Amino acid sequence: MFDCANVEMRELLPELAAGTLDAATRALVEQHVATCAECASELETLRLVKSAFASAPTVDVGRIVAALPKPASAPRSARGSAPVRRWMDWRVAAALTMITVGGLSVAVTQRLRHGNPNPPDSRVAQPLGDTTVVARAPSTPDTPVPRKDSMGKGVPRSPTTVPAAPAKPQLAFARGAGDIDEASIQELLALLDEIDRSPVAPRAEPDPTPVLPGIKQSDR
Amino acid sequence: MVQPHEPSDESTDLELIARWKAGDERAATSLVARHAPALSRFAVSLGQRTDVDEVVQDTFVRAFGSIDSFRADSSLRTWLFTIERRLILDRRRADRRRRDDTSIVEADAATEFDALDNIVAEEAEGRVKKAVDRLSRLQREVFLLRVNEGLSYKEIAEVVGSTEGAARVHYHNAMRAVKESLYV
Repeated sequence: MFDCANVEMRELLPELAAGTLDAATRALVEQHVATCAECASELETLRLVKSAFASAPTVDVGRIVAALPKPASAPRSARGSAPVRRWMDWRVAAALTMITVGGLSVAVTQRLRHGNPNPPDSRVAQPLGDTTVVARAPSTPDTPVPRKDSMGKGVPRSPTTVPAAPAKPQLAFARGAGDIDEASIQELLALLDEIDRSPVAPRAEPDPTPVLPGIKQSDR
Repeated sequence: MVQPHEPSDESTDLELIARWKAGDERAATSLVARHAPALSRFAVSLGQRTDVDEVVQDTFVRAFGSIDSFRADSSLRTWLFTIERRLILDRRRADRRRRDDTSIVEADAATEFDALDNIVAEEAEGRVKKAVDRLSRLQREVFLLRVNEGLSYKEIAEVVGSTEGAARVHYHNAMRAVKESLYV
């Protein structure tokens, strides 16, 4: 009892017995089997095995199909989900409308009660998160900035309070909304230059690789 | 190289699955009719002598219930074999616990094969069945999946939870044992 040396053909014998080879491959294997006694003997054994185990109890296909679960994505009846979904859509739309109208009315009421929140002397108001940077023009004697009391009314400016210092950009912070404009950016840059020229400013750049605790300087 | 098994519909398994998901029950009928005979044979080859139709039905119910987990990396039939094998092993464990009997299933199968052999003892099929029955459970599974269903070693490895190389070794050892049993 020897095995055929043509492993490729021998490996295809079970598929030949099972009948799962395509026509071209089947013809090739059958051609080999016709000239190879070992493969012919093995194929005979395989066909015996197949016929011995071919018979199996028949099953009732209809009963099995009836027992199958329904597909999860199967389309439901037209009366099923559509009206519910439409009703839900209307409810969501109504809720959104109420929230929007309510929010707008509260905002309008607040504005009418407190007047314009932005002071008239603020030239630009730019938000920076919740806090807004307001760049103010330096006060000069010939362009007095009217002050306001807590009620928002103008207060006469005292001539003794006018500073005689040279014009310098100043920063003030206020609450509001908006973006920093070009003029404010220029003023900010001028301020940063002034800080750089200050004698208390450090001359050297900081070390980009700080020493971590537990690591020796020589290890880095 | 390998043709579809027992085609009963021109559509592929994946097309039938898609149709069933869309609500077409005839697609389910085609799938069951296409694969039920092989599942029935495989159940018998695993030693299942009774309630084969019930096992096949449970296999389909479980498969269709989790059809979304079928990734089509393997054929649907291979996936069904895997499910059926697991079901049969679970049933055996449950039976053993119920009977509080530690006798192995191979012994039960041998008894039933002996009964069958009383009728066809002198016939070739009887000798083949006896030879196959002497194989270990894993060898028998691999051997019959290869010979009866024409599964590749890769597919067999997937069904029995082994490797392709191990499946190949099991098949050749089984083939040698069957030949020795028949011709020596």
